[in-house]
Amino acid sequence: MKKPILQAKNLTKRYRQGEAWIEALKGFTYDFPPGVTAVVGPSGSGKTTLLNLLAGFDTPTEGEAYLAGNPLHALGEDERAGVRLLHAGFVFQSWNLLPTLTALENVAFPMLLKGVPAKARTERARALLAEVGLSHREDHFPRQLSGGEQQRVAIARALALDPLVLFADEPTGNLDSAAGKRVLELLLRQARGERRVVLVTHDPEVAARAERILRLKDGALIEIQERP
Amino acid sequence: METLLLIVRNLKARPVRSLLTLLGILVATASMVLFLSFGEGLRKALSAEMTKFGPQIRVVAEGTGTFGVPNPELGPEVLKTLKAHADELGIARLFPAAVMMKGSGFDPATTFLFYGLPEGITPKDLAPAAKVVAGRLDPHPDGAVVGKQKAEQSRLTLGKTLRLSRKIAIPIVGIVDAGSGFANSFIFVPMQAVQKALNTTNYSVILVYVKEGFAADEVAEKIEARVPGVDAQSTTEAVKYAERAIRIGDVIRFGISLIALIVGGLLVANTVMMSVYERIREFGVMRAIGARRGFIFRLVLFEALLLALSGGALGVGVGIAGSQVVNLYTTHAVGLALSAVTPRLVLFAMLVAVTLGLVAGVIPARVASRISVIEALGRV
Ligand SMILES: Nc1ncnc2c1ncn2[C@@H]1O[C@H](COP(=O)(O)OP(=O)(O)OP(=O)(O)O)[C@@H](O)[C@H]1O
Ligand SMILES: [Mg+2]
Repeated sequence: MKKPILQAKNLTKRYRQGEAWIEALKGFTYDFPPGVTAVVGPSGSGKTTLLNLLAGFDTPTEGEAYLAGNPLHALGEDERAGVRLLHAGFVFQSWNLLPTLTALENVAFPMLLKGVPAKARTERARALLAEVGLSHREDHFPRQLSGGEQQRVAIARALALDPLVLFADEPTGNLDSAAGKRVLELLLRQARGERRVVLVTHDPEVAARAERILRLKDGALIEIQERP
Repeated sequence: METLLLIVRNLKARPVRSLLTLLGILVATASMVLFLSFGEGLRKALSAEMTKFGPQIRVVAEGTGTFGVPNPELGPEVLKTLKAHADELGIARLFPAAVMMKGSGFDPATTFLFYGLPEGITPKDLAPAAKVVAGRLDPHPDGAVVGKQKAEQSRLTLGKTLRLSRKIAIPIVGIVDAGSGFANSFIFVPMQAVQKALNTTNYSVILVYVKEGFAADEVAEKIEARVPGVDAQSTTEAVKYAERAIRIGDVIRFGISLIALIVGGLLVANTVMMSVYERIREFGVMRAIGARRGFIFRLVLFEALLLALSGGALGVGVGIAGSQVVNLYTTHAVGLALSAVTPRLVLFAMLVAVTLGLVAGVIPARVASRISVIEALGRV
């Protein structure tokens, strides 16, 4: 049997709110195929909750989540961090970068965590920055970069260890349409080979660029829409 | 080592706060080093004194303190008894002296310690390394030989006259470097002059050289058993006694500097804790990317350690400088370098700094490493 690269089985998350329980995610089951999958739904529908569970940031109340063949639901915090480091990349809505590091150092950071030698790190980080069109910003600190540039650095960093899965939660949410478009194109381009790109978004136009759309409502997966 | 870069960058991002914290530890460490340097200085000075002092035992009247100026309370019969039994007691050589202090006792420049030596005895018999600086070594007859330190301090030169009492005045005939702080602050005069000035025929002290092969401690005990009413103080005993006093002083001084150290530690803890709270989001990003708890724990702990260590190192430097300033003063005032920053004191201070950093860093480090990714990233 092939190892599941990104799969959820009956994934459920309940939050206690005083006396009542909130079901933020209800029995989510899906095996993500290669390519870009958009996750859409109204505010509070459970999109971020789903991403937190798939990435191993949080543990499910019930169900199973597999990342690169690893059963995240059965692993401890540090083990999940280890799986993330090697197999997942992240781009959040904002505040992605470490403010005291330069663009180049930010991109090299995951490789530092993995123990890649300094020279190889710098070389790869340079290449990645070139790929996102930011060679001229290598030594800039995040506060010296525009929002769109920051997101592109974050994409470069997410790719540092060539992950199987790329998670993006509203990556264009804070950008104007031109910068947003550029970031989106860059993200879509990363869906190569076996890689899965999970794209959480409010924006129908953004979602329309994905190969399939998962629609959540009140924590339940209500529709899977394949693009022709 | 890349973590060091992260730490340094973070400290540099808040330069004023980092500097103030550094300053706090610097002051704490420097004050501790300076406080404890007095104990070390006393130890050094003491052992130097003891090797330069010739006689191994001083016999004084019972009740005289180990380092006190003895009163002339030893009768001639004491000297006679000791001489008679010298051989069986293990005494190689002995001579009496009469000591008189004149002046305020507070201001060293106007305090004079006249050390009356009997005929045939010179400062060399007290301090074998004694050398003449000017004039002659022997105060006899009717001269005063001034210790080098005393001469400088009170501006005493050859030919000046010193007054022991209204009737007795003695010209300075020599300046001597006895090689020891104590002896260099003495004024050596003929014993009769002191006795006359004090109106007595007694001695203040009898100085004893022990025969080869005899232990000073044992000889001292035998003297006390043989002669009633005297204290026989051996130098080894004096060293032990002084060492005990210095150690008590050390504990007290460390206790005082502990307050500064605790304040310094709290400063570090506060700085690091604040910087942890400000960087929750940052740690969240690191954890999201895949940093383990240990990585973040070390990051924060090393930040505290780096602050404590660099503050400690600078503090030791300032402490050494302070100690030299103190010595400049004390060598002038009492002829002794009272403060010494020994290697073991430096080591101790650095050890205290490291401990400080560890203790101050461990709680913020724990807090930082326990930050949950979701809490840190906030709900987007
Ligand atoms: N830590 C929590 N404690 C309690 N309730 C929570 C918690 N996190 C999420 N929820 C609830 O779970 C539900 C789903 O939240 P989630 O953040 O996943 O929604 P979302 O689809 O990402 O919304 P948005 O589009 O606004 O980002 C919401 O009702 C939210 O209030
Ligand atoms: Mg959300």
